[in-house]
Amino acid sequence: MNTFNDIKELVFALNRESKLISEMFSKRKSIDYKLSDAIELVDNDENRIDFLIQRSVIRENGRILELDDHFLEFFEQVLDVNEEINLSYIDENIKNIKENIEYFLNENNESKRYTYLRFIKKTFRKMGIITLRSVIDLRRNIENTFKNEANYKNKQLKLENLDEKRTFVTNLIGQTLALINEEEVTFFNRALDEELKRIIIELKHQLGECSHNLIEIEKQIIDYLNQIKHQGKFLEKLRKLKYLKDHFTIEAETDIKQVLSNKNPVIFESRLTEPLNISIDFLRENEKAFEAIKRIAKNYKDRKLFKPKLADKISNEYLENSIEEEIMINLEEVRNRFIATSDHLFNFILNYDFLKEVNFNERVTIFCQIISQYEQELIIKDEFQITNGIEYAMVIPK
Amino acid sequence: MITKYTSEIFDVLRKGQFICSNSPNEQIQTLYKVLEDDKTFEDLYEYFYQINYILEQGNEYFYFSRTEKNVDLDRKLEKAFGWIDILDFFKTFDAAFDVGFRFSPSEIGNQLKNNADLKTKLDNLKKISADKKNHSDRIQKIIDKLEKDNFITLENEISETYKVLTSFNYLKEIITTINIPEEIDNEIPE
Repeated sequence: MNTFNDIKELVFALNRESKLISEMFSKRKSIDYKLSDAIELVDNDENRIDFLIQRSVIRENGRILELDDHFLEFFEQVLDVNEEINLSYIDENIKNIKENIEYFLNENNESKRYTYLRFIKKTFRKMGIITLRSVIDLRRNIENTFKNEANYKNKQLKLENLDEKRTFVTNLIGQTLALINEEEVTFFNRALDEELKRIIIELKHQLGECSHNLIEIEKQIIDYLNQIKHQGKFLEKLRKLKYLKDHFTIEAETDIKQVLSNKNPVIFESRLTEPLNISIDFLRENEKAFEAIKRIAKNYKDRKLFKPKLADKISNEYLENSIEEEIMINLEEVRNRFIATSDHLFNFILNYDFLKEVNFNERVTIFCQIISQYEQELIIKDEFQITNGIEYAMVIPK
Repeated sequence: MITKYTSEIFDVLRKGQFICSNSPNEQIQTLYKVLEDDKTFEDLYEYFYQINYILEQGNEYFYFSRTEKNVDLDRKLEKAFGWIDILDFFKTFDAAFDVGFRFSPSEIGNQLKNNADLKTKLDNLKKISADKKNHSDRIQKIIDKLEKDNFITLENEISETYKVLTSFNYLKEIITTINIPEEIDNEIPE
């Protein structure tokens, strides 16, 4: 494997391919970076990609390129965008410091002691920064997970894991402080170095800040976890109720009836329109009401008036004169004729020519009618005769 | 006349609506602030109690209930069942559907294309949107129903963004209050 010969060469190479590398870095999470896309960014010179591959800056996997883990990690750390929180660093640093303190105490050679001291100082300085950065990362990761993770179970698990990391960082801070304050008192007494003191003060300050942040993070995580738990529980409950409802057993198997009958909110009521009548005094006295009436009346103005339906014309047929003849018996005439004879009435009527067919019964009726109408002008005797089984009195004119 | 808003408060609540703290409607917000005052709340409680309305305070919302039962149980059950169905639909659309959540009908429409579960649920909601044929009309109908009950409201007409109001807590409370006995609980598949 080829490596870069010196920093200059490395920086120069990175600078030359900055376009490609920055593009690959920004897309590291979203897409698999294709070789064909990469070639366009290096002016179609495949050799330049080969050069990077040889120097292990990028790796080729099939036709897909990715940044080498070393570089990826380096960029992420330097740019403060790493999502993984690697706590092994802090742990390792504590071990390193402990070892070097021991070497320092055992060593008599001044220059060697100085080397150890320098290493210890460097590590302490690094620890403060690393711890602070992990805390910031932790916080960002928690927020991201809570807001962006779609899968509920994973969200919960991830947050729980981040919470574990938080405990771990807290422990490490405790260990570091214990190391400074209690465990290596002899070392700090012996190593009389101004810079070390300054570094330690700075470190304590940073660790204090971290502790405060961690407390806040703990609060946040508990809150988030509770929210998830609550929402998850609610969702589960809803699904169960829906299941029971779809199987028509919800009324029988839950207390939904009881719950609902205990509540009487207005929302359950159907909305009633209020059939309130307008105050007549208001209509009479208020100017606005009068205007409203006029306005509304306008709408009715152009309405068609109700026209009564006309009957059809009476046909001329009905208006023509038509004559119907019927022969009526004129009792007056019959009487006049009778008075001029000497016959008695019954016989006269029986033989009278009425110009139409008149049967015996009708003639008897006419006899009775004349007697009752003109009684004054006739003499009704006490003699009786019988014709056709009818007994009648003798009637003669006066 | 306890405050100058008494009649406005009555008009809103009498219709079975809620006065929510996160309503985009400025009038409702004013009313919420008025009711938030403990003293005013107590006075109005007494005032409305005289005419058989009970002023109730929930988690960030106010509503009316009654002393006596004016609605038969069947109607309540029917309404509650409707809510369960709709809630299930929206929770399938987005598990984060909760107070303050914003959405637009087109987002639901988009998800229908790649969420078979959601589509089945929409099909099962035929009772609500029986007369509508196409998806977007039916989604709108379901949204309208929830809006009519005052659990969501149109926040932005131009982008058609709806917002879930705090009255949604009321729905959640009902769901949470219903108790499923343990032996039944165990029979329900995951």
